[in-house]
Amino acid sequence: MNMRSVLISVLFLAAAACAPAQRAMVTDPHVAATLAGQKLFEQHCAACHGADAAGTRRAPNLRERVQTLDAAFLFGFITNGDLRRGMPSWSRLPDERRWQIVTYLKSLEPSRAAR
Amino acid sequence: MLRLSLIRLAKTAALALLLAPLASAQESPWFVTYDHHMEEPHQLELSFEPLLASPRHGNRFLASALELEFAPRAWWTTELYLDGQSTARESTLVTGYRIENRFRLLMDEHAVNPVLYVEYAATNGADKTLREFVGFDSWRDLAASNSQSRLEKEREVETKLILSGDHRGWSIAGNLIAEKNLAGEPWEFGYAAGLSRPLALAATPTVCLFCRENFSAGIEAYGGFGEQQQITLAATSHYIAPSLSWALPDGLTLRVSPAFGLTSASNRFLMRFGVSYEIPMGR
Repeated sequence: MNMRSVLISVLFLAAAACAPAQRAMVTDPHVAATLAGQKLFEQHCAACHGADAAGTRRAPNLRERVQTLDAAFLFGFITNGDLRRGMPSWSRLPDERRWQIVTYLKSLEPSRAAR
Repeated sequence: MLRLSLIRLAKTAALALLLAPLASAQESPWFVTYDHHMEEPHQLELSFEPLLASPRHGNRFLASALELEFAPRAWWTTELYLDGQSTARESTLVTGYRIENRFRLLMDEHAVNPVLYVEYAATNGADKTLREFVGFDSWRDLAASNSQSRLEKEREVETKLILSGDHRGWSIAGNLIAEKNLAGEPWEFGYAAGLSRPLALAATPTVCLFCRENFSAGIEAYGGFGEQQQITLAATSHYIAPSLSWALPDGLTLRVSPAFGLTSASNRFLMRFGVSYEIPMGR
């Protein structure tokens, strides 16, 4: 690989890093936490609970369940998981990120079937 | 030969970047130290962990393990390693395989969480993946040529007690290692300990590549404790290794860790790299 290729690669990566975010800058802390929680949910939870949190054959519909649950309980459940039933512990995520997931889950509306 | 291996490694990493499916990935930056976190069920994690070294009285080499990690249960993770190495001016060869199982002993999170680790390894003497250091392991083990060392067959059982916890974003772990060659050799002991933290604790609202939340920095120390009849730190090898991991949004994690030998029995320097990504299993 010659110097020119290296330079082009570096410039490409720098441009990607500096590119403006696709979403507008979020100033409301609650909205920011909800969006961050949604992103974390997609990364860590959607594989089992579904991209829309409506559940799959592996894991339950969260839209129905979380509205009645206390946020602190939900945080504790995400932290501990339920290892015997296949729900992993997410204590590896910092507290701040687990609270962002809770914020997102509490923002979900029940699915049509659950109403 | 080493240059060719590095080019292959770069191609593998690039291919993995292109093919990586959307899946969770939250890897610790450590290479030797284990923590209590298991693989998530329904995910298959593929890892490739090359190690580059230039022994004091031997040829440079690139050793690597291809790892396949799977969790049959949320409290049980099993892993298969296929080891190989390429030594400059000598040869390239497959050096064996290892099967490990990790079991969480407590079902809830505690300040300190114990995990039992059991591994069976069927390798030959040319294995240079250096996944841990036990007994009186030293740089001398790497000095023999591949043609000689590959003739030595090793069947080993390795156990670890893993203790770890997460506190305010910090991950702390300590491992006690006991390894026995089944050819009747004594138990050998070792340790590993690590500390790590993400560079940002909260996530940003947008998907990003270079934001601080995607990086974790850590440090780990590992080495040998001697043998059953001679538990000691004298004439054993010890290392200190800063480490960095970068979790890309698409489930790929890249890691790097230079390790510095601290005693005369240690290799002076080891360079570890890691590429891993997770594939969802079934839907």
